[in-house]
Amino acid sequence: MTNTEKKSLEEGLQNRLLDYVSYVLTSARGLYKEPHSYGPMRMVDSLEKALFLLRDMGIKDDAIEESVAVIRENRWRVTSDPEAFAQALDDAILRLVKVTLKESSTSHE
Amino acid sequence: MNVLDAIKIRRSIRSFERRSLPPEVIQSIEDAILHSPSGSNAQESHFVIVQDPDQIRRIKRFAQGLSGDPAAVVVLCTNKEEALARGGLDTAEVLRFVNLGIAAAYILLTASSLEVGSCPARSFHQKAIKEILGLPEGIEPELLISLGYSNQPPRPKSSKPVREVISYDQYGKEKP
Ligand SMILES: Cc1cc2nc3c(=O)[nH]c(=O)nc-3n(C[C@H](O)[C@H](O)[C@H](O)COP(=O)(O)O)c2cc1C
Repeated sequence: MTNTEKKSLEEGLQNRLLDYVSYVLTSARGLYKEPHSYGPMRMVDSLEKALFLLRDMGIKDDAIEESVAVIRENRWRVTSDPEAFAQALDDAILRLVKVTLKESSTSHE
Repeated sequence: MNVLDAIKIRRSIRSFERRSLPPEVIQSIEDAILHSPSGSNAQESHFVIVQDPDQIRRIKRFAQGLSGDPAAVVVLCTNKEEALARGGLDTAEVLRFVNLGIAAAYILLTASSLEVGSCPARSFHQKAIKEILGLPEGIEPELLISLGYSNQPPRPKSSKPVREVISYDQYGKEKP
């Protein structure tokens, strides 16, 4: 990668990070008066945006992406079928538990 | 497409193809706005149609309810002073929001009839959007409508049972 390419990549990521920070801050402000059910949805959206940022910075984990895919698929259910939404979050969380257990078993070896 | 078909196929779209809208679509949105009714014909609302990708990106930073990458965003604004001057107190207090809601429906249905996806969004920071658009004092952004070609199949519609929503002749009475 040339220096110019590196600089434009960094600028792109800086811009994306600013998109992200502004989004999270505006979401926090909005939730002060918005319906309670929007809270989990905004956190899920923030999570997805953060993971896209990490991916574009070259950090990738299939298990995390799978977990996000499950949430993403069911994200819209938060207002129409909250129970199904909660179950999708459970499913996604249990995938992350597996990652955590796998990590701790390898760190003890 | 007739209006009822446009109503029935409309669904809030939150993920878009990276494709801009042809000028005819924007022209139709403009026609829809200009043909929208307003109480006492006050026409106090203002609409900013944003297509510049940089400006859309700025808006998205402060509009947490706006999902995906739309090709355009229509910002629907009220003007309280003009509403008062042209329509009176009721227009300033209530009708300007009714008028804006009707204009929003016209925009949504025009988009739907052209098979353009859309989503209204009220979750945004009003002052931030006002600054970004350079809106003058007294003109407030109240609703955003994203527009673009959907890249997702429409999700199912969940509606309340008809008797909870519609009565006939008297409150709570079912269809004769
Ligand atoms: C006044 C208004 C404000 C809305 N604000 C948002 C919003 O900020 N974010 C969003 O994703 N959807 C928003 N919506 C879309 C609704 O969630 C959507 O219309 C509703 O769930 C019904 O789904 P449908 O439009 O697909 O029929 C809004 C709708 C209206 C009418």
